[in-house]
Amino acid sequence: MSSVRQIQFLVVLLVSLGISAVSYKHLVLGFPLISNDKETVWNIEAKITFDAIAPDVKLILNLPDSNPDRKVLFSEVLSPGYEFEVIDQSGLRYGMWSAQNVVGQQTIYIRSQTYFAGGESQATSTNQQLISLAWKGGALKAAEELLASIKGQAIDANDRILAIGHALNRVSDENATTLLKEYSQEKGRHWVLAQLLTLDGFDARLAQGVLLEDKRRKQNIHHFIEVNDGIDWMLFDAREVEFVSWSRAILMQRGDEPLLDVFGGENSKISFSTLKEQRAAFTTALASAQRDSNPLVDFSIYSLPIAEQNTFKLLLLIPLGALVVVILRNLVGIRTSGTFMPVLIALSFLQTSLLLGLALFILVVGVGLILRSYLTRLNLLLVPRIASVLVFVIIIYAAIGILSFKMGWDWGLKVTFFPMIILSWTIERMSILWDEDGGHEVLIQGSGSLLTASIAYLLMSNEIIADTIFLFPELLLILLAIIIAIGSYSGYRLSDLRRFESMERL
Amino acid sequence: MWGFASPKRLRELGIVGMNKRNVFYIAQHNPRHLYPTVDDKLQTKDLCRGHDIAVPKLLGVCKIQQHVKGIVEFLEPYDQFVIKPAKGSGGKGILVISGRDGDAFLKPSGQPVSHEELQRHVSNILSGLFSLGGKPDNAIIEDMVQFTDDFKGFSYEGVPDIRVILFKGYPVMAMTRLSTHASDGKANLHQGAVGVGLSIKTGKAVSAVQHDAPIEKHPDTGRILTELEIPGWEEILVLASRAYEVSGLGYLGVDVVLDRRYGPLLLELNARPGLAIQMANQAGLEPRLSWVVEQEKEMKGSVISAKEKVLLAMAAFA
Repeated sequence: MSSVRQIQFLVVLLVSLGISAVSYKHLVLGFPLISNDKETVWNIEAKITFDAIAPDVKLILNLPDSNPDRKVLFSEVLSPGYEFEVIDQSGLRYGMWSAQNVVGQQTIYIRSQTYFAGGESQATSTNQQLISLAWKGGALKAAEELLASIKGQAIDANDRILAIGHALNRVSDENATTLLKEYSQEKGRHWVLAQLLTLDGFDARLAQGVLLEDKRRKQNIHHFIEVNDGIDWMLFDAREVEFVSWSRAILMQRGDEPLLDVFGGENSKISFSTLKEQRAAFTTALASAQRDSNPLVDFSIYSLPIAEQNTFKLLLLIPLGALVVVILRNLVGIRTSGTFMPVLIALSFLQTSLLLGLALFILVVGVGLILRSYLTRLNLLLVPRIASVLVFVIIIYAAIGILSFKMGWDWGLKVTFFPMIILSWTIERMSILWDEDGGHEVLIQGSGSLLTASIAYLLMSNEIIADTIFLFPELLLILLAIIIAIGSYSGYRLSDLRRFESMERL
Repeated sequence: MWGFASPKRLRELGIVGMNKRNVFYIAQHNPRHLYPTVDDKLQTKDLCRGHDIAVPKLLGVCKIQQHVKGIVEFLEPYDQFVIKPAKGSGGKGILVISGRDGDAFLKPSGQPVSHEELQRHVSNILSGLFSLGGKPDNAIIEDMVQFTDDFKGFSYEGVPDIRVILFKGYPVMAMTRLSTHASDGKANLHQGAVGVGLSIKTGKAVSAVQHDAPIEKHPDTGRILTELEIPGWEEILVLASRAYEVSGLGYLGVDVVLDRRYGPLLLELNARPGLAIQMANQAGLEPRLSWVVEQEKEMKGSVISAKEKVLLAMAAFA
């Protein structure tokens, strides 16, 4: 195969591979093409505290029931010294901690990030753990009277449930007061309402869980009633007398299942903090694909820990910078000092912001060139010369950092984001260029490098582009195809057209 | 429009751009492993001498720092010589000594150079001050070329040389580079030297450019540049053409100087010759390169001598 054919074949192969992987992820796995959409992600932290009274301690916590619409992005258990395992027992999930030789107050944290994929989601409730009527005698009579007082007012089931809830909350109502007499606690109030609903013919049961509200700290477990309105299971809050959306709550316990059992400890308490976060939609798509163990996702960057993923997120941008260099050098014909130096400078700009980065770069290289011009006179050997420039660069860094800090501008400290070895080489090369071809050429190559770096920065700093490449690393194949195609481009560069302009008149 | 030529017009003229040169001519005709022979002037010189191609006479080579001390003693018998880095580029690091004044050496400008200065220069060459990428280098000491008078009035100070582009051994385009005051006596087009296109047929000047723009007179001496005519043209082309056999590089720039005593001498070879020659000639390379391809096809693999190639080219090109 001739090299031209090979290149064509390779380009077509790479592009089709890239496009098919992207379309598979988009169409089958549901990755959004442009990750511009935001989704709500809940950060939940559960804190369990108790006093250990026996050397051997065991905790059992009822874990949230699996809800196909609820996705867990991330979850961790912070319980140093404890062994932790998740037990799955006939559809119920428990977390079990155990430890030996513990003394004093113990704290266990559980952190998780979760979101609801279906929006208005529906719990998959069964008819287990239904509440049964426990009232007899006077209580039963009071309940029947209370129900009778609202008979006929409500038309549909939901209104009826709301009406019963309101009736129970009416302080003036004699029957309500009778029923609630012994049940002033949250849990009791819900139990009473559940009894009333059952008496009225609804299927109902008690539940406990976390109510998702933004910026709530140290809230206790929330009580709910699950009630079947004849069509769907609904979640009901007896205190606020309102229905709660399934996506606003995470149920941890139903009926008379225990929520938290502590063996060998006392004064156990569980509290929750919740925080709402708006995130790019793709993180959520990722998590769902991960849970499904899709090989395309399983063996990808997303399988790495979050910190490493961030590193790769940056690395994935570098080919973008390389593409800019290729285009500017081979299609436009801009001269730069050092082939990929502009990409590294662009990476520094990501930390410093563009204008500040440009100013700092010009400052460091300018001062460096002045100092370097003295070295020319000394006729040093190459490596000691560059090493000296490196020392200069670090002194310049320190000077800029300290001076700007003393003057109250902390931006000067950002100078450290520039790769100093690269800057030393840039200064060295520009200095030689100055001697050989004059200051004019230094200006051309210097501004060419900065222009290239700026364009690369503008691309790399674009969140939509960064997120899209992170979401579809397959795009790198297409990028590679473009680079290879440009590599075999034999047409004119823009600089050729400029250079040969005088020949057009021939 | 906006100072850009239309790509269509340039294609009609057969102008070769940077990408085309790199992708088609250099990448496909110049095997990488042959580069060292042209990038290292010492190797080029050895190769040329082995093939009886005239080069400036090699007086000596200094390869290690310890020998720098003995260099003055070594140079005792010579009054005129040139010291240059073997892997230098763009004429950097070339020291020309044209005479002596007592203990000191003299540059052509009359400026004296002390023993210490000369030794330091050689030491700098060895440490790689002038070589590509700063790699350690060798210092070449060779006989100073004594220029013919053919360029009198056409060059301001400095060293005029003749650049011939060879494609598969056929001379396809030529120019001479004349130094100016602006180029500081260097025959470097980037620094403002004048490029004068030469007819392959006759060796007569065709047109001239400075800084990529056409000019008629030498900016310093005022001579009409198109009056320039290179004597012994065929001999020069044959010398250049033989560099192809020596180097094996299909797309090659050959620099030739004219010595009063020895005639044309091959100065250096360039595996990546620039494209400015097209402007100096006000003509594109493409038609001539295609002519060579056609010519080679007609030959059906039979080998002809450098002289035959030169005659064919002289008949074919203007």
